[in-house]
Parts: sequence; structure tokens; C-alpha cells
Amino acid sequence: MMAIHGLVYGMLLFMVASGLTLVFGMMGVLNLAHASFYMLGAYIAYSVTVITHSFWLSLLISPLIVAVLGMIIERFFLRRAHNRGHVAELLVTFGFFYILGELVRMIWGSNPLPVPAPVILQGDIPLLGGTYPVYRLFILFFSGIVLLALSLILKKTRVGILVRAAVSDAEMVDALGSNAPRLFMGVFGGGAALAALAGVIAAPFLSVYPSMGLDVLLDCFVVIVIGGFGSLFGALISAILIGELQSFGILWVPRLALVLQFLLMAIILVIRPTGLMGEKE
Amino acid sequence: MNIFPIVNNGWKVLAGTFVVALPLVVPEMQVHLATEVLIYCLFAVSFNLLLGYAGLLPFGFAAMFGVGAYAAALMFNHLGSTPLVVVITVAAASGLLTAIIIGAFCVRLGGTYFALLTLAFQMFFYAVALKWRSVTNGDDGIPVMRPEFYFPGLGNLSLMNIHNLYWVVLFFVVLGILSAYLFLKTPLGNAVVCMRENEERAAFLGYNVYLTKLAVFSFAGLLAGVAGALYALFQEFVATTVIDANMSFAVVLMTIVGGTGRFSGPIAGAIFFMLFQDWISDITDYWRLYFGIVFVVVVLYLEGGLISLFNLDPIRRLLRRKTG
Repeated sequence: MMAIHGLVYGMLLFMVASGLTLVFGMMGVLNLAHASFYMLGAYIAYSVTVITHSFWLSLLISPLIVAVLGMIIERFFLRRAHNRGHVAELLVTFGFFYILGELVRMIWGSNPLPVPAPVILQGDIPLLGGTYPVYRLFILFFSGIVLLALSLILKKTRVGILVRAAVSDAEMVDALGSNAPRLFMGVFGGGAALAALAGVIAAPFLSVYPSMGLDVLLDCFVVIVIGGFGSLFGALISAILIGELQSFGILWVPRLALVLQFLLMAIILVIRPTGLMGEKE
Repeated sequence: MNIFPIVNNGWKVLAGTFVVALPLVVPEMQVHLATEVLIYCLFAVSFNLLLGYAGLLPFGFAAMFGVGAYAAALMFNHLGSTPLVVVITVAAASGLLTAIIIGAFCVRLGGTYFALLTLAFQMFFYAVALKWRSVTNGDDGIPVMRPEFYFPGLGNLSLMNIHNLYWVVLFFVVLGILSAYLFLKTPLGNAVVCMRENEERAAFLGYNVYLTKLAVFSFAGLLAGVAGALYALFQEFVATTVIDANMSFAVVLMTIVGGTGRFSGPIAGAIFFMLFQDWISDITDYWRLYFGIVFVVVVLYLEGGLISLFNLDPIRRLLRRKTG
């Protein structure tokens, strides 16, 4: 039971971390605003469900809005800092992380907001001799589909091949005649949409609160460090690892639960600085 | 006649006199604000030792500030009447120790890793401060009684008086900033800058990159610990806000906006940050949002920060030409 619980959170983390690690692999910048995209996705889902009473609609609208926002940030702000090195880029994304966090506080207030799950997905079903909330199984199912779709797109389509090429050498892709800046913008937007999607999915599960961005940012960072920067498969493995670690950690050593993942990260950094699946820089 | 020494040093003397005499000329509310500004000045200057001079960007710098603040608050509460100098020294030592622990893990890594790993460590310290209720009182925090301060010749001065507090804080802040300034003049300080410019060459020349970075990180942590202790004294209260992410982010924001390229940049940043907050929070509750926008504009369009607007070089050149 706890294992499924950990898997659910792990898959959720993977959805956020995958966009982050793709962008990092391509552009060399860890996009701190990514966590805000996740949070914004959840908050927009809250508003959409309040207005239209349809959770399913928010699943569509929220990623779209956030993707457009992500592309605007990349095109008009991040790109200007691109020539000035990674610290400047990091600072720009940090600025947006901060601004979006405060914007959310301004629009929706500081209190946690509940987002009800759709009626079909409420309640529990019997599972493995106990009962389990349907909604969490839905998260598992949905993120499984996203994972499948993502790997299909990356492996089979032309865009996916370009993206993978750009992750290993963006300059070469540009030199070979593909429009790398446009590709960056697209991946940035796609990653933002993915984060927002994860936010929508997470909203009924974790509820919606202003520091959710920071929480997920740190978890994602741990996931990416352990998995290896730029490695999608590594991110999947370590996201599930972190999910399990958190869910068993709270069960076995509740006082140390917050520390466990940082401990794991410190160990990994000492014995294998590039992460489980990372290549040497 | 060469008027440079007067132009160059005259304004410094004037500014110095103004800072010292400030409590005598402005209302009490403003003295309060000025005291807080001073503390942030020290905090930002120590931060800029890392960002501006060592080329390290720690997103979790409040860890040392917070540990210093908690150390001071616990001493004030449990040890009765300890001389202030001892409290500050212990806070500095705990800031140093925290920095050594964090730095040992983090300084080996550069750039993004370093930035976020320090943040992760800071969140760890935050979690400790939040959960270890028997010592830190969690969210409720620890109240701090401002002690009396023995000043030779004047006897015991009460720090409940905001004017006295201002001068005491000013003393420690000037001491801290001066030591940061002098640190950069030492061979070690030069080695730090050398490593920012070219780490490989520094290593090739025989410098121990790891130890040098650890040294500057620890020294910055020490100063941040002092700033934290002063903050505890000033607020008369220490809670998890001294060690949370917002405190770390605040110092990043103010230092960058002030400008990292010059020693005075973070000081200008801290002053601007506090005045901006003071001014705009009358108008709106969401001053952080507006400061974030200022921050992004500065990062994108004003690389040298606000301090680069006060560049006196063109004026000096003009004067030099006239006076021949």
C-alpha cells in the first residue's frame, strides 16, 4: 500500500522533473520558474473548476495558458540573458520564480485552497485486501499515459529526434540547419505545459497552496541530481525512488522524513557526482 | 590645484558623519528603519563576497544568518547576562561552523549545483528549526530581551533605547564590513578573485581551489552569523522567518539589484531594498512582487546594478580635464 503511495508521488514528480531536465539538457539552464509553472497550473485548475465546475476542462486549459506564458518568458526574457552566461540565465528564471510566486499570493491569497476531484474519481475501491482512493490510481494511470506519450514523441517523431539531438549538442543542431532557438522555445513551452499538467493532477491530491512551488522545486532538484542532469530515464528512476523514500520515510522514521532525500542526494553526490544515469559534462 | 582628494574623500567624511549622527536628526521610526538597513548591509556585503568576488551564487545563504540569530537568541534566554560581545562572538562562530558544514559539501560543485544545493541545505536547517520545538519553539519563535551594553566611560547603556541600539549595531556592522573589505586585500582574497576568473589556472599555479573556496564561504558565513545575531537583537524575537527561503531570496535580490561588481553595490542594494519596501508597502501589500520586477529588469538591462548608475568616473574625467 505504501509502495503504491510512493509510486503515485514519484510519477507526479517525474512529470514535473521531465520538463526541467529536458530544458536543462538543451539550454544548460536550470529553470527555477518551472516550479512556478507547476504551481500556476494547479491554481488555474482551481479557478477553472470553480467557474466551470469541470475538472476535465482545467486539464486542457491550464497547460495551454502556462505553455504560452512559458514561451513568452523564454522568447522575450530568457533569450536576452543567453549570451551572458548561465548565472544570468539562472537569475532571470529565479526572478520569475519569485514574481510568479508573489503573483499567485496576490491573486489567490495565502490560504490553501481545495480542488475537488471529479465525481467519478472520488471514493475508494478495494485493492490488495484494503481500500485505496480512486483518484490516486487515476494519477498513476494518467502519468503512465503521459510517460508513454512522451517517450513515443521523443523516440518516433521528427521533433523528438531534434530535441534529443539538441540535448546532446544544441550548437550542432543549429549548425545543421534546424532552428535551435525556436526548438528551445518549443521545449520550454512544452516543459511548462507538462509541469502545469502535473500541477492540475496534483491539485485534488495535495490541495493548492503558495509554497507548493518551492516544495516541488527542491524535490525535483533532488530527483534531477540523483538521476543525472539531462537524463530522462534517470529522472524516472530517481523520481520513483524519492517517492518511495518519502512515503516509507514518513512511516518508519517520521522525524527524519524531511532529511532522508537530502541525505540520499549527498551520498550520491559524493560517490557519483554525475548522478545515476548522467554522462560526464 | 588638484581638487580630487577633497572630492574623493570629502563626501566619504560627510557620509560617515551623517551615518553616525543619523539618530540625532531623524525621527525614531526612521532610526528603527536605519538599524534594519545596517543589518541587511552587513548581510548583503557578506553575500557579495561569494557572488561578486568568488563567483559563487548560494540560494541558501540564510542558513548561516538564521543559525547566528538562533544562537544569539538562545544565549540571551538561557545564559542570563552574558556580555554582548561574547554573544556576537558565539553567533559568529556558529555561523562559521554552519558554513563549514554546508561548504564542505557544496563548494566542490559550481554554478547551478552549488546554488540549489545550498538551498537544499538551508531548507534542511529550516526544517530543524521548525521541528525541534523543545529548543527553537518552532513557528512560535523565541522572544529576545535586549541586554544592557557596557560602554567604557558611560557605564551600562540600555539597548531598549533605539538610539543606543543603532550605534551598537553600527559598530558591529562597520567592523564586519571593514573586515570583509580587508579580507579581499589579503593574499587569500586575491586568490579568491583569481579563482573566479580562471579556476583551472589557479589550480595550476598551486592554489588549493577547494580549501580557498571553503575559506571564503566560511568567512562569509561568519559575517552572516553576526548579522543574524544583530537581527535577533533588533527584532527582539527569533522565529523560523530568519532561516526560511524568503530570507535567502531577499539577500539575492538586494545584492543583485545593488550591483555585484563593486564593493559598495550590496550596501546600495540593501538601502534601496529597505527603502523600497518601506515606501511601497504603504501603497500595496505585495511589495515583493514589484521588487521582483525591478530585479528582472536589473538582471536584463543593468548588468552593473544600481550602483553603476552612480559611477563618478565620467565626472572625474571631466574635472581632470578642466583642472589640467
